[in-house]
Amino acid sequence: MSDYAISVKNISKKFKLYHEKRDSIFEAATSFFQKKRHYEVLQALDDVSFNVKHGEIFGIIGRNGDGKTTLLRIISKIYTPDSGSVDVKGSVIPILSLGLGFHPDLTAISNIYQSSILLGFKKEDITKRVDEIIKFAELERFADTKVKNFSSGMQLRLAFATSVLVDPDILIVDEVLAVGDVNFQKKCLDTILSFKKRGKAIIFVSHSMGEISKFCDTVMFLKEGKVGNIGSPAESIAAYQDYLAKHPEINPKENISNNI
Amino acid sequence: MTSIIEEMWKTKEIIFNFAKSDLKIRYRNSVLGIFWSLIEPLLMLGVLFIVFSTMFKFEIPNFPIYLLVGIVCYNFFKNGTVFALNSLSNRSTLMTQIYFPRSIPAISSGITAAIMLILELVVLAIFIVIFQFVPPITILFLPLILALLFILVLGIALPLSVLNVKYKDTEFIWMVIVHAGFFLTPIFYQFDMMPVQVQNVLQFSPMVQIVTMAHHVVLYGTLPSVTSILYAVGSISVITAVGYLIFRKYQAKIVEEV
Repeated sequence: MSDYAISVKNISKKFKLYHEKRDSIFEAATSFFQKKRHYEVLQALDDVSFNVKHGEIFGIIGRNGDGKTTLLRIISKIYTPDSGSVDVKGSVIPILSLGLGFHPDLTAISNIYQSSILLGFKKEDITKRVDEIIKFAELERFADTKVKNFSSGMQLRLAFATSVLVDPDILIVDEVLAVGDVNFQKKCLDTILSFKKRGKAIIFVSHSMGEISKFCDTVMFLKEGKVGNIGSPAESIAAYQDYLAKHPEINPKENISNNI
Repeated sequence: MTSIIEEMWKTKEIIFNFAKSDLKIRYRNSVLGIFWSLIEPLLMLGVLFIVFSTMFKFEIPNFPIYLLVGIVCYNFFKNGTVFALNSLSNRSTLMTQIYFPRSIPAISSGITAAIMLILELVVLAIFIVIFQFVPPITILFLPLILALLFILVLGIALPLSVLNVKYKDTEFIWMVIVHAGFFLTPIFYQFDMMPVQVQNVLQFSPMVQIVTMAHHVVLYGTLPSVTSILYAVGSISVITAVGYLIFRKYQAKIVEEV
């Protein structure tokens, strides 16, 4: 058991989906007397279990809204699951979207400090690495610029550079490659592969089936919050595309782009 | 409670980083920067002094110092709690991208306010010199009183930070309380000017006791009465305990509410 870098057991997570969100105490008080329910329960994840080995690139595919991001947030401790357990060996870096919790009104340098301190780094260690991070992100000219003036590609580069150079044991890559330009994409993929070589675990979420089949060792297909399939990339992609073919009404556009 | 102190110690770098960036963001694009935190209490002092010494003719000895002691204490209370209101909700993106203990933003709001308090204490010292007031030896107890006030600030800041994510009303209700509290605290009058019935109620206010105690040690050279200390410690313990329980109830799932 202890061979796994990430071990997820029977995770379930429900959300209250408010159709008319109660944001004031008055509404909370009045709705207390009404029998009407203001929300429905959304089962975001239902009994999901899987293991990721050291040195493995673990792909996750599935439609938008089928629980991929919720799962990543549970692995990185942002959400607490309703039931089940997550066992993670070492430090986790989430790259959940553009940015790494960057504050728009702080400069690139201040944001590197903020994010790395949050990820458990000492100030002295960050000071040693700051120049390297800026260089890797190719943002030398913008080091003292506020992040709100950055393009999304620049924010992504800063986030990726920060999280790679703090050298985590586990890297979570959530659909970020689509934003960078070709050069930076190559740099990211090289980094991810070198992480793999050094025995680190990588969770890779993408809508590009090409990338998934090229880089992943194991792929999980999340189907409406449940495990649809865990297996080789070819198997899981086939299961996913089979599922999409049977439900063409759900999201035909995505179906087309996935076949590219 | 011990767990939160432990957490504070372990995460002190994050707390100070947040406090620093809060100050940076607060005074971005301003020429005077952090000096604004000095100008505000000085303006307040000027207005209160003119109104109550010339129009109402209050005869409180060393009135400017008396006023400033109250203003400095109350400002710390106001800043710490008001900064905390939006400390979590302003970090909604951060909350969904990196995990950090939910108590940190509220605690660093308290630290930000404490940094401003230190600047205001410098102003108080300058005033003491200008008015050639010789402070009694009991002034050495002022830090203890301010430490007690810091506990009160944290005890209120923690629940406010999570409640304001869940219910935006918290902010409006709290602003009313803070404004009313300024007039219900003996900052520009003496507590015994109040009718006895009102005194009986207001003595339960921790700010009344804190400011009274501060006046005692800074101006009168007397130690605070045992009753004052008991009322202050009692009310602050109750508020902090209740505040911590509220915070603990909501903190784990608060990220789902942002």
